[in-house]
Amino acid sequence: MSFSTYLVRRLMHSILVLFGISILVFLIARVLPGDPARVALGPRAPEETVQRWREWMHLDEPLHVQYYYWLANAIHGDLGISLYSRQNVAIDIKTYFPATAELALFAGLIMTVFGVLFGAISARYSNTWVDNIVRIGSYVGVVTPAFIFGILFLLLFGLVLKILPTTGRLGYSTAAPPIITGMVTIDSLITVNFAAFLDALKHLLMPATALALGPMAQEARITRASMSDNLKKDYMLLVSAQGIPERLINFKYLLKPSLIPTVSILGLDFAALLGNAFLVELIFGWPGLSRYGIQTMLLSDLNAITGVVMVLGIVFTTVNILVDIVVAYLDPRIRLTGERLQ
Amino acid sequence: MRSKAGVLLFAAMVCGLIIGLATMGIAQEESLLRINFHWPSRLDPAVGLEFNASSAYVNLYDALVYPVPDGVILHAAESYEVSKDNLTYIFKLHKGIKFHSGNEMTAEDVKFSMDRLLEIGEGFSYLYLGKVDHTEVIDKYTVSFTLNVSFGPFLSSLIRLYILEKASVMANLKDGPYGSFGDYGKEFLLTHDAGSGAYMLKEMGPGEYVLMEKFAGYWGEILPNAPDLVKFVREPSAVTVKTMMARRELEITTPWLAKETYQDMAKIPGVEVVSWSNGFTEYEMWNTKKPPTDDIHFRKALNWMLDWEQVLTGIYPGWTQAAGPIAHNLPGFKEGLFQYYQDMDKAREELQKSKYADQLEGLKVTLGANSLVPRMEQFALMLQANAAEFGIDVEIIKMPWGKMVEVVGSIETNPNGMHINVAPHYPEAGSMLAAKYHSNSAGTWEQSEYLLSDEIDALIDDALATIDQDERFRKYGLLQEVLVELAPSMFIVELLEEHAYQAAYVDWSALLDNPSTIMGYNYDCRYIEVYPDRIP
Repeated sequence: MSFSTYLVRRLMHSILVLFGISILVFLIARVLPGDPARVALGPRAPEETVQRWREWMHLDEPLHVQYYYWLANAIHGDLGISLYSRQNVAIDIKTYFPATAELALFAGLIMTVFGVLFGAISARYSNTWVDNIVRIGSYVGVVTPAFIFGILFLLLFGLVLKILPTTGRLGYSTAAPPIITGMVTIDSLITVNFAAFLDALKHLLMPATALALGPMAQEARITRASMSDNLKKDYMLLVSAQGIPERLINFKYLLKPSLIPTVSILGLDFAALLGNAFLVELIFGWPGLSRYGIQTMLLSDLNAITGVVMVLGIVFTTVNILVDIVVAYLDPRIRLTGERLQ
Repeated sequence: MRSKAGVLLFAAMVCGLIIGLATMGIAQEESLLRINFHWPSRLDPAVGLEFNASSAYVNLYDALVYPVPDGVILHAAESYEVSKDNLTYIFKLHKGIKFHSGNEMTAEDVKFSMDRLLEIGEGFSYLYLGKVDHTEVIDKYTVSFTLNVSFGPFLSSLIRLYILEKASVMANLKDGPYGSFGDYGKEFLLTHDAGSGAYMLKEMGPGEYVLMEKFAGYWGEILPNAPDLVKFVREPSAVTVKTMMARRELEITTPWLAKETYQDMAKIPGVEVVSWSNGFTEYEMWNTKKPPTDDIHFRKALNWMLDWEQVLTGIYPGWTQAAGPIAHNLPGFKEGLFQYYQDMDKAREELQKSKYADQLEGLKVTLGANSLVPRMEQFALMLQANAAEFGIDVEIIKMPWGKMVEVVGSIETNPNGMHINVAPHYPEAGSMLAAKYHSNSAGTWEQSEYLLSDEIDALIDDALATIDQDERFRKYGLLQEVLVELAPSMFIVELLEEHAYQAAYVDWSALLDNPSTIMGYNYDCRYIEVYPDRIP
């Protein structure tokens, strides 16, 4: 089996998984308490109006019929009307997802760069004060929820030092760049609007860092452990004995193989950032998909719940496939296994 | 050594980036008023009826009448007359009222707004459904409403008929379920306004804010220092709100924060905390069709046994006990109604009179409470402790709001007591009395009592049909006396709406000297003045 065949097979599995998720979420969303049409229209809406909504949204049909309508429309990009926003869930996702994606991407960047860096430094200076500081920091990072970091940052940089903005994606005096990707930093770079870029970066700094610290600590711990293991291996002694420069040893022979477990966890952590962003979005007034998802769950907004979970499912499966590719690049055994099978 | 230097260099770069970003210019202060609200903020007056939506309508649209403490005054209407049979109301509009598009408001727009509201059937339509038979354009500035039944508070209820520009809506129809009207402009009005109010929509940050700017062509009164821009900002966490207030990034907070949060914010120089009774009343609604709360004596006993003093000082500090079924500042309130206090002997007497007198030990009473509102559970715990002295077992069922709305839908699923607060929708006692006790509203969250009394229905219908205000108010008073005697609900407290605001540079006194009991009208921003030069 070639690597490309393996990837195609993974892709097919992912589609099956997404199909399964859609059925599961669809059913779970529909057993949540509350009549969604009544909740949406309020207590005083006449019964005829509420019934019209039920019929319009097929809520009065059997579950399998409801699912059929949902799936048939979803294939055409119509995820149904959200009772929360009163517009198509696809439009809501297009509106809110880029904000969360931007937050997660920056958090992911911080998590990856600093997680690997601190892990590598810790392993390189193993059992020194540098290592001890990184390890203590990692423990603190792992056990502290993101919202605690968020509140601490807000109080320190927002309230005491007053050097970073507290809420939103842009200051109100900053002209927003035209929407291209929906991610303000990227759109402002595409349109060469550096003022908007820097303002957006300022707004991103606290929420993205708060979100990243937990998984970053996790990456640091895993990278350190993996590098420490590899440091004890015979081939490290061999490459040192051969007089290979230390920088080359560290990056090529030590860091690269040590990254395999880190990358595997990175993928999962990155996808989890999207789901875990709710409290950070709440604290920093970030108009993202996580907050939207929670709100819609509280309102029994069936279409929106299903849409949000499907998006998260797609991100999870996509990231997993990407992780497989990166791991295959880092670990020749996976590539060779594929070739040998061929 | 080189590696250590590299680490230090990298750390220095990160610090430099933070400092560099931090020293970038902070937004320039303008005449801007920022208020926290929940999301979503609906702009379509035929769809929303929540607090945030009501507040947006008040600023973006005009109605024929405007609420004042003792009723309503004419607003977009210059004059009105009522036919002899009390079924036809004819309104003459002020000439020269401009929509934000620059077009003039005409009778056709008023008719369109009422027809649209009734056809969509959401939002405040329930105020007119079944009552308004048809709307007719008499001439360019004259419109008439013909009612099916005599409805005394009709004039008051018109505060919720916000007038949209027909041409603007009709130019933006999409496919939808309303026949030739397509979606009736619902999609357009998600992100646009079609009003004539003192403020017009400037920008909508989805999920984030609604930005409105002062409408230069506004026909009515605007105070000289009313803000140029008004921003309804989606409410973040409490700690963020506090930080925003301290940094002067927010002028008025939401009313839904914890007491301690307001106390903290009151310590910020220039920030004051204000509160007023907003017309809401909080009830323990007894299911009058389910044992044992189907017995009037049992319900009265529950009223007598409650430790009211502890409830009012410990659970609702600073709030006042409700003096009857409606708030004291709602026109039509009856003064001097009986209020309960704790008296265990009287509770015992009432229990003896009840049909459950010989089965009190282990008798079960179920109380529903919103799982997200701690005071409601605290109240239930207090009643549980008081009832235990008589051997009555009170079971507390915490549930989310969606579940509460569902279970009150039938007598069987509805618990014995449901702890909910209710607000008036137009400035009269009749609004609350009909919502709370008329059979039409039984099974909604506003009436889980299931009173279903022909006698009460007749009294409510008669009062609402009375055109003469004094006579109507007298009938409201009689109804309130009957309801206190029936004890279908425990009238717990009048809700206090509490806000922190930037008193140093925001003057809210034009509204708060006589706060409105009508949701949204205390946020009519043309009456709120902002002085940026006074920002501390």
